[in-house]
Amino acid sequence: MTLIDIESQVRTLILLVIPLFIIAYTLYIVRILKGPTLPDRVLAVDALAFDLVVFLVVLGIYFKSPILPVTGVVLALWTYAFDIFIAKYLERREMGE
Amino acid sequence: MYELDLLLITIGGILLIIGALCDLIGAIGMNRFPNFFVRLHAATVGAIGGAFYPLIGTALIAFGSEFLGIYKWFVGGSALVAAFLILMLAPAGSHALARAAHKSKASVVEPKVADHLEEDGGVK
Repeated sequence: MTLIDIESQVRTLILLVIPLFIIAYTLYIVRILKGPTLPDRVLAVDALAFDLVVFLVVLGIYFKSPILPVTGVVLALWTYAFDIFIAKYLERREMGE
Repeated sequence: MYELDLLLITIGGILLIIGALCDLIGAIGMNRFPNFFVRLHAATVGAIGGAFYPLIGTALIAFGSEFLGIYKWFVGGSALVAAFLILMLAPAGSHALARAAHKSKASVVEPKVADHLEEDGGVK
């Protein structure tokens, strides 16, 4: 029985997946630049940041770095705060203080 | 432990590929849907299908990767925490944004069957 090399399998899988993510980010950035209203842009930034968390974790596995996924947690929290700020601005025309 | 690692990596890889495809579908929908309230659907596909599933998948891959050494617990644990946060926060953020957009009339409700929020005089 020949053993499969797990490291090369994982690296091949990650290299296969990264182009899909890059194409998706390009499409999200097109919507961010084009979006006619403010909520459209915020929604695209929202989805882009949540997918960037995945990209950070994938890069953390690829580069064997434990720091990159931890920054992803902060990015997810920041995106939620951004949503709430923009929602409050749209409703009351003021930034929350 | 080799068989367990291989099982974890297979399940995680399937989840990661499903997540990348959902991400791509959400991005295409974000560009092709007509207005904000329809684009909410694409954004939710991109957030839950495109971020929650691949984060669980990458956590399983990290737990099965012996070549990461002791760092596999760092990577997998933070991936699980980020997955839980996204599962909680993405629908809440989208909902708050939709409510604010409806209240400030930033976008029209275009394919409209019934708008009970407008009939009741808007949200308080």
